[in-house]
Amino acid sequence: MATRKLAFVVRSLPYKTEASRLALTHAISSQTVEIYLNDGDLVEASISYVGDGVFNVMKNQQAGKHYGITTNEGHAKNTLLLDLKVLICKEDLDKFGLTEENLVMDADDLGGDMKANIVSYSEIQKEMETADHLLFC
Amino acid sequence: MKLAVLMSDYRTGSDIIDRLSAEKLGIILVGNGVYHAAAKEDGKACAILDKKAEFFALTEDFESRGFTADKLDSRVKAVNYSDVVDLIFNDYEKVIWL
Repeated sequence: MATRKLAFVVRSLPYKTEASRLALTHAISSQTVEIYLNDGDLVEASISYVGDGVFNVMKNQQAGKHYGITTNEGHAKNTLLLDLKVLICKEDLDKFGLTEENLVMDADDLGGDMKANIVSYSEIQKEMETADHLLFC
Repeated sequence: MKLAVLMSDYRTGSDIIDRLSAEKLGIILVGNGVYHAAAKEDGKACAILDKKAEFFALTEDFESRGFTADKLDSRVKAVNYSDVVDLIFNDYEKVIWL
């Protein structure tokens, strides 16, 4: 029985490119990989937001209204419905003057139990070091 | 020349903006360019806003990213798509896209 750790690190801004959205959708879908693994083998995924990537978890995104697409905010909320560790870099939030109030920190309205965690970059670094597979985008 | 610049990136293009010169310069922030108007780093507004120019930000793009017009820098005017078309056709002779 083995656990494979996956670390998704989002550093890109939302919408102009697909990069950050792909990280979110891959993180969300990563647990389905288990159907291809041996019995008892597990996948443990985390998603971290660093640098400009912290703007992906801004609240009140209106991409649905203006672009006719689902928002990265909605995707970020979906990550909190799963058994997925969500980390947001504190130093980058401080740099941009953002606080928990501005961000998707939970999915209580959808019945989710998980909370996003605001952590120092060193914790995200540790997450990257301990991962078996790293996706940085 | 009367030049309008459509700026759709946050991390690139500022070097070109620094060098551009026009008797009338308008910088229209679209796509990820709206972060120049809405985001502050270490409490400071984006340096391109110090350029002698008129600044506009596309409402559809900053609202899509979770910002509201009251969060824009005071030097930037919120505009919609039809305002942008009017600006291009009525106020400027040439348009470039960064």
